[in-house]
Amino acid sequence: MNAGPETADVALDPDPGAGPPTEEHRPPAGRHTARWVALVVLVVGAGLIAVLASRPPAAVVEAQNPLVGKPAPPVAGVTLDGTRFALPRAPGRFIVVNFFASWCEPCQTEGPDLVQFQFEHQRAGDASMVSVVFDDTQSAARAYQESLGVTWPTLSDPGGTLALTFGVRAPPTTFIIAPDGRVVASIIARVSAGDLDRFIAEAKADHP
Amino acid sequence: MSRRAFPVWTLLGVVLVAALVAGSGVFSSTPPTAAQRAAAIESGLRCPSCEDLSVADSSAPTAVTVRNVVGQMVGEGRTDQQIDAYLVARYGASIVLDPPASGWTLLVWLLPVVGGVATVAVVVTLLVRRRRSFGADPVAGDAGPLDVATVAERTRFLDQSLADADAEYLAGDLSDKDYLALRRRDMTRLAALDARSGELEGVGAGVGTGVMVADQPPAPSAAEPSEATGRQRTVRPRRSGWFLVGAVAAFGAALVVAVALFATNRLPGQTATGSITLSQSQRTAETLAQAATYQDEGQLAQAAQLYQSVLAGHPDNEVALAQLGWLEFESGRQGGSATLISDGRAKLNRAVSLDPGDYAVRLYLGTVALQQDGDPTGALAQYRLFLADDPPAALVQQAAGEIRQAFALAGLPVPAAVPTG
Repeated sequence: MNAGPETADVALDPDPGAGPPTEEHRPPAGRHTARWVALVVLVVGAGLIAVLASRPPAAVVEAQNPLVGKPAPPVAGVTLDGTRFALPRAPGRFIVVNFFASWCEPCQTEGPDLVQFQFEHQRAGDASMVSVVFDDTQSAARAYQESLGVTWPTLSDPGGTLALTFGVRAPPTTFIIAPDGRVVASIIARVSAGDLDRFIAEAKADHP
Repeated sequence: MSRRAFPVWTLLGVVLVAALVAGSGVFSSTPPTAAQRAAAIESGLRCPSCEDLSVADSSAPTAVTVRNVVGQMVGEGRTDQQIDAYLVARYGASIVLDPPASGWTLLVWLLPVVGGVATVAVVVTLLVRRRRSFGADPVAGDAGPLDVATVAERTRFLDQSLADADAEYLAGDLSDKDYLALRRRDMTRLAALDARSGELEGVGAGVGTGVMVADQPPAPSAAEPSEATGRQRTVRPRRSGWFLVGAVAAFGAALVVAVALFATNRLPGQTATGSITLSQSQRTAETLAQAATYQDEGQLAQAAQLYQSVLAGHPDNEVALAQLGWLEFESGRQGGSATLISDGRAKLNRAVSLDPGDYAVRLYLGTVALQQDGDPTGALAQYRLFLADDPPAALVQQAAGEIRQAFALAGLPVPAAVPTG
């Protein structure tokens, strides 16, 4: 197929470099198809960008614990001292439930803040702490708490059943339970005493 | 060749569909056991404390807890939906590995189907178009009746196209090769049109075409062979095109069947394609190892829970029976619970009947006989079997006190294998 035209080529034009090569004429229909495809791709792309940009980031969605706003699951079990402990359905004051482990670095950082929080609110009687051991040996958890000077009840939670009822994935996870027994906040990062005070103040403002 | 290709492609499609259907286990008749059901649910749940690992595949403590809860709820006869809902209410929707088929995540389910359908549609369209372009020149046309007006219009179009090409070539906008290709194409079309117009009554419009072709000496000679091959090709691709359409349709059908079948969780008995998950025995071994670690750390409740979970799936697991029996016996003795003691003893007896050569069970049974029954002779028999089985020195060391006591009570010399305290 090539041999004939090539010879004719030379005969027709003695100066092959004269005209720059351009694309062959395409039928108008082809050009329209390309235009439509480009338009569709553009619209789909823009739509995806709009959808993805308007959604909250995955980390925030993950942090939204479904328990918030609902009655807290029962907080009951055996403490590290071996005594039984059960939080009343409506505790009558704010309860901060802190899931921790001695091996968890953010837990160690927030530990002194929790002690300070408990100290500040013990007298006022408006809030108190309860800790739950998460994936740790009882002896390590006890030693860690003794080093901090923890005085509040700490549930040993063997088998992690309490962690499951609260949907805890990793330590530290902190829940704030309102005096009427509702969960008002869940924090899956290190908290400070100031954070806890702020969350409690917000909850008080919402439900005076 | 193309005529033979049809049954081959169809056969391939049928074999694919049949293999997928058979492999999916739709026809397997045995209903799943509780353990199989639990395992199926667990493989559809995300381990709470790890990334993208199912509860079934993870040995993280949170996954173990979820496994226990699932096993318990399956035992209580809850439905899969109830179990999922229970966990979603605690961990959120992300605990389920499959994205929910609602809201935006519905896209995840629909896009593959839409993409598949679109792909099939595009392939079919391209095939049909190619077939048409082989069969019919869009400008010259070769099918259907032509009237004088159409021939005149098409001739005008081609004349204009040739004139444009000439002008562009002279202006230097077209390379030699492109110019020649364009010319050849339009001349071929004109020749074809001319031939067609000859068939018509009113030949008037065709005159111009004839003149045009005669005007360009190089074109017809170059055009004729390519037109001839083009016409030959029209016969075969038309059929093989349809066969290809059939094959693509069969493949599309296979994909649809595959998606429909695999969109739901398969139960363990239905696995046909294999997957990268731990086998049942590997998982059991891992759980037992974890339980042993708990036991060494003194977390006896956790250890007991794990042994129970193993026994729930494998009631005859000798290691779990022996260890749980011993744990129950010990805690029964400490707590003064006769039920626990007798439960533990029953498990130990069952373990020894399953594997009479396990030294650990012999040691446990010896200690039960010595401490609970006050039967030094029975204890002695068990301890002898224990020592005869070449147990690890550390274990002998641990049990040395009881063994020496049993031999002393029986008035016999303590064997050399037992270290003196």
